[in-house]
Amino acid sequence: MTVLLTKVRERRSVLKGVLGGSAVTVALPFLDGDLNVNGTALAATGAALPVRFGTFYWGMGHTPGHAITEKSETSKGIGFLAETEALKPFEDDLNFFGAYAMPLDGRSNYTHYTGWVASRTGTAPAHNNDIPAPTFDLLIADAIAGNSRFFTLNANAVGMPRANYSARSTASRAAAEISAAALYQRLFGPEFVDPNNSEFKPDPRVMVQKSVLSGAIEQSRDYIKTLGAADKSRLDEYFTSVRQVENQLALQLQKPPPNDACLVPPAVTEKPMEEVKRIARDMDEVIETHGVMAKLFAMAVACNQTKVFNMAFTDDFANVRRVGETYTHHLLTHEEPLDQKLGYQPLTFWFNKCGSDGFAAFLKEFKSIREGDGTLLDNCLIHAGSETNYARVHTIDGVPFWLAGKAGGRMKTGYHVVGGADPVTRIGLTAMTAMGVPVESWGTKSLKTTKPITEVLNDRATPPPVKTESQG
Amino acid sequence: MSMKLTRLISVCCAALALTACEDPEPKLKGAPPDMRRLTETQYENVISDVFGIDVDVAGRFDPLRRTSGLVAVGAREARITPTGFERFYNAAKTVSERVTDAEHRATLIPCTPADAAKADDACARAFMTQTGRLLFRRPLTTAEADYFVKAAGEAAGANGDFYRGLTTSLASMLVTPQFLFVADTTEADPADKSAERLDAYARASRLSFFLWNTTPDETLMAAAEKGELNDSASLARHVDRMMASPRAEVGMRAFFNDFLALEDFDTLEKDPLIYPTFTLEVAENAREQIVKTIIDHVSRGEDYRDIFTTRKTFLTRALARVYRVPIDRTDNGWISYEFAADQNRYGIQSQIALMALYAYPGRSSAVRRGRAVRELLMCQKVPDPPGDVDFSLFTDPNSPSKTARERLTAHINAPACAGCHKITDPIGLSFENFDGAGQYRLTENEAHIDSGGDLNGAPYTGPEGLAQALRNDPATASCVVNRLYSYAVGRSVEQDDTAVVNFLDKGFAASKYKFVELMRKVALSDAFFTVSKPNTTAAASGEMAVATAH
Amino acid sequence: MRVRSQVLSFASAVVLAAPCFAAETGIVHDRRMGFVVKDWFTAVYETKFMDECPEGVSIANDEVWWRRLSRADKDEQTGNGMIQALNRVGVSFLRGRNGEHVCLEPDSVDDPPQRIVEGKLSFGVNLDGDADGKASAKSCAHENFTHPDGTTGIDNQMYRLVGCTYGWRKDVGTVDMNANEMRNTSGLGLILIDVSEVDNPRNDDDVTVTFYRSVDQWVQDSKGAPLPFQTFNIDVVDGKPRYGDSIKGAIKDGVLTTKNGDVRLPWYGNYVFMHPVIRDLTLRLDIDPSGERATGMVAGYYDVEAFTYYIGSLGAVVPVNGINCSSLIKAARELADGYPDPKTGKCTALSSAFDLLAYAAYIRLPAAAATKTAER
Repeated sequence: MTVLLTKVRERRSVLKGVLGGSAVTVALPFLDGDLNVNGTALAATGAALPVRFGTFYWGMGHTPGHAITEKSETSKGIGFLAETEALKPFEDDLNFFGAYAMPLDGRSNYTHYTGWVASRTGTAPAHNNDIPAPTFDLLIADAIAGNSRFFTLNANAVGMPRANYSARSTASRAAAEISAAALYQRLFGPEFVDPNNSEFKPDPRVMVQKSVLSGAIEQSRDYIKTLGAADKSRLDEYFTSVRQVENQLALQLQKPPPNDACLVPPAVTEKPMEEVKRIARDMDEVIETHGVMAKLFAMAVACNQTKVFNMAFTDDFANVRRVGETYTHHLLTHEEPLDQKLGYQPLTFWFNKCGSDGFAAFLKEFKSIREGDGTLLDNCLIHAGSETNYARVHTIDGVPFWLAGKAGGRMKTGYHVVGGADPVTRIGLTAMTAMGVPVESWGTKSLKTTKPITEVLNDRATPPPVKTESQG
Repeated sequence: MSMKLTRLISVCCAALALTACEDPEPKLKGAPPDMRRLTETQYENVISDVFGIDVDVAGRFDPLRRTSGLVAVGAREARITPTGFERFYNAAKTVSERVTDAEHRATLIPCTPADAAKADDACARAFMTQTGRLLFRRPLTTAEADYFVKAAGEAAGANGDFYRGLTTSLASMLVTPQFLFVADTTEADPADKSAERLDAYARASRLSFFLWNTTPDETLMAAAEKGELNDSASLARHVDRMMASPRAEVGMRAFFNDFLALEDFDTLEKDPLIYPTFTLEVAENAREQIVKTIIDHVSRGEDYRDIFTTRKTFLTRALARVYRVPIDRTDNGWISYEFAADQNRYGIQSQIALMALYAYPGRSSAVRRGRAVRELLMCQKVPDPPGDVDFSLFTDPNSPSKTARERLTAHINAPACAGCHKITDPIGLSFENFDGAGQYRLTENEAHIDSGGDLNGAPYTGPEGLAQALRNDPATASCVVNRLYSYAVGRSVEQDDTAVVNFLDKGFAASKYKFVELMRKVALSDAFFTVSKPNTTAAASGEMAVATAH
Repeated sequence: MRVRSQVLSFASAVVLAAPCFAAETGIVHDRRMGFVVKDWFTAVYETKFMDECPEGVSIANDEVWWRRLSRADKDEQTGNGMIQALNRVGVSFLRGRNGEHVCLEPDSVDDPPQRIVEGKLSFGVNLDGDADGKASAKSCAHENFTHPDGTTGIDNQMYRLVGCTYGWRKDVGTVDMNANEMRNTSGLGLILIDVSEVDNPRNDDDVTVTFYRSVDQWVQDSKGAPLPFQTFNIDVVDGKPRYGDSIKGAIKDGVLTTKNGDVRLPWYGNYVFMHPVIRDLTLRLDIDPSGERATGMVAGYYDVEAFTYYIGSLGAVVPVNGINCSSLIKAARELADGYPDPKTGKCTALSSAFDLLAYAAYIRLPAAAATKTAER
């Protein structure tokens, strides 16, 4: 049947076309039974509950020696220190990855840039504006996000649309949501279909809206034929992106299954735009905005609005201040003198601790939602990290990374993993493996790896049942 | 050609019509046809020009990456992410709802349906083809027109409302690639069968987005339809008409906003405790001031290079406060103003805009300012600092250094830093009389500020000396030529373009550095319209993607 | 150039002199620097245990009224206790013998005398030139204060008058605080101090100080302080300044001190527009080296009539500030120590002193503005 043939071809083309930019090797073989109707996602997870993936970002790393106890080999027990004490209650949900290397093969370390780009794309950037390959959250989204209402959700608490650490290429980086109120509207505004609402009537107007849109896009095929080939590869991405809205419209026409975990949160009050857009804001404001956004993210995931989400607590240049202080977090890392007695920069430490506290606050939202026999966090995998290890001198070896959540039972947790001199890409590969992305290797040059970190992975073939967690 | 002869010719050029003795424009291969995503400003301009409706999409669309010094070049690389498409669709819905609402339909829809509760294909066709021609910047193909009429009809049926039908159809039109990307559509070149050239509509769009930063108007569309834009005499007539239009200022503003990277104002923040005077109004006014100063200067036909020395500018009450001058205006409007010589405000580079942008929230930055002068105004590339510098070495609180000059001496003395800091700091330090908010000062930490500087080995004193040095450095004039050309063709300047850029450079000098002349010359150049053959590799992927979309 | 010359043509002061060094930081333009007054507080010297007011604070009008009511009247006036204290304010004003408003007709009641300052120390200056407080051609007999810094001969009967009234006590009273706040937030009637003929803003032995009223409002920072160096236009009638009295002065190490002169002062606050004449006014302004701010003091003989008018217009400010109009106004007449009426010999003005906080401002004058020097 031609339809089926088309589907197989589609899947290959998507993987080739979309993943092509990143050095991903596709694992074989692929069974058609793994494909859902759109041919883009692996349907057979063996679990009724979907597993979702997210990232959490904060700028400026940790304070070496004051965040996590150094270890010489991988073992159970993370070793929280003062800076990360807020994460202690999540020890059984977390893995910490220390001492991984970020070899650049002679490329420059573009300060506060190379670190996040290399760890998220598997390739060292060629300049401080370069995103050489898709970030791995998008590779995961390509595999699992299929027909979610939102392909990915991106937001930050610092008021900068550009501060989104998820991008397909240099030229393809979505603007992050900076307004909690706008995020609420997007997620739970009038177009949200409440799964627990017993009344459901598909709106024929939405049906027409969807068919008119799809038809118009179909129309533009002829237009494309008149253009040069260079344009067409860009249009590939355009056509893939159209699906975001098509899916949104399609989902408005379907009655979602009832979902106990999904409780529509109260509306978020709108703030004046100049406040939403303010840069170099006080940390208090970042914490407040992040708190609201974290709640919305967790509920959006619980309500199956998205399967992939990216939150930036602060940006890569940490444009955040403390009330009454002049210097931003970033400037402080360079200019605050070391306190000889404490052995670190005290204000910088305070900011770094806010990053860990923010991550804990983010996790708390996911852990507080019950899902199945456990919590939402049990069915998620959340990657957290920064762009530097020691921001004062921009070191990128040993940048701290975390993976939180049991990914529906695919992850073991509670480990402090010591990377030795292994490339940081092993963490990303581990996450992709846990999320069921069919990859054998990831990264380029010295960042290339074929080895997921098996110490924290459960055997994929027989995912153990999700452990029941007591409420955190 | 001997020196003497060159000089003779330039005298001749000054005396006679320029074209009479000018070198002919060098031929270039050109780049393959491509397409540029509408910028946020262009989107707003187009919607405003086509429908008379103001939409604010600032910060909503996928950000364009500044590439080779220009956002306009980044637009050529821009892709549309899933979130980005969602935003375009939301904007499209907003626009189409307003266009067809009760308030606007009378003026924007050229006909009335026989029955407003039903589809009316004739009226829908009139509206969709007329609007489509403006949005797609060419007449709709028959298939396109038929589709949008059919779509309007279906949606009218489902809604029981003719106008809702138009809303739905128009919203879908506003997210098509035909609208969102300005594409170089080509045709066979009748003069050279082996070559391609831009077709008339692509030429109209190129002119219009370059000179006006918006979609072609009716006259230009008509000229394209009649083939007038392929004929050099009538092309000149159209360019002159466009440059005489008030929209030419919109176009020049767009260029200088891009040239000076003024979008950074969107993320500019000053510490209110240190600079209480730097209010939001000051920031907005400062951004406008620098553009206003340049537009006024070049519109009067002054020598472009004098933007680095001029003391003429414009002020509002808010700016006057920061510049510390009395102002003869009681409301929030603008006055023209000339700084006195002893106020040390020479040229656009010493205005609040660049001084505040290239500084920290709570203090000045000689390094950032020096780099901005090199990169923005002289098109020179300054490398990024190495990652392993411990800056706190230079900011030891126990150090006796009071001024930035004393602190930066440490950079210049450290071998790893010296290479770059030698090209940024001597310029930046001559701005030290301007604090992080651009306010004039004589001292820092109670120590006298030495604002001596050095540009490429030629020492000078203070803002006035820098002004002269910038004006007289050939890099500043050739930089704006390079950027304007790059902005016009929407791509970075490559080896192939060098001869044309040199040609434009010479013409700029011959016109006594009249910017408006330069703009005209770019618009009339062959290079502006030249495209090479399309690159035909990997043609399959596009069609494949279409298949995957459904 | 066009607009700048226009600005110059508006300036009244001499323009063509050599630019002074401070022109570079914008403090002085066209040999002039200006200030706009933000805070204007009656100078009140207070001790921790209120030793200066042995009788305590003065008794408010409504309190006096209440105390004099019989039990039956109290019942009637309060609806048997249903009407609370604040609602009795209006009624309590109308307690003159024939129902007169006691703030407008202070002689219509016989109240206990105003509780006045009995301390020996006060801020202010020596206005009458003597240290004994004896009567002279220009003054009536009064008791002098000693400045906390030891200077004797301080004349400040205004302090003696209001210093024990709650409304003028530091941090708790709101008479001046309200007036400042109202002026500052409305931008109405801002007082401008123009210093002209300035050759050097830190040291200049001959400058002229002129007082104007602004017609412009101002922009404030997040803490309510006006942003420095805003331009203010002055109140003009028929092309001439409505105010504009001048005094000569000198600046030494950034401290401006003027001679004495009579100044008609624009004044707005507590909903009262007025223009009290302060005689023998002398100003001291301590100018911050940044040129952005100045603190200082205005001293002079404050007209009793103007004071009476002001108190009579305070309305609701009266009860919340513990003021008894009748006692206060009567005491003002008694305590007046300056400018005896040639017919009656009774003094018509109170020696007084006020603390100022001002911010740098550019003051734009109409071309025809003539400076009239009030120096004597």
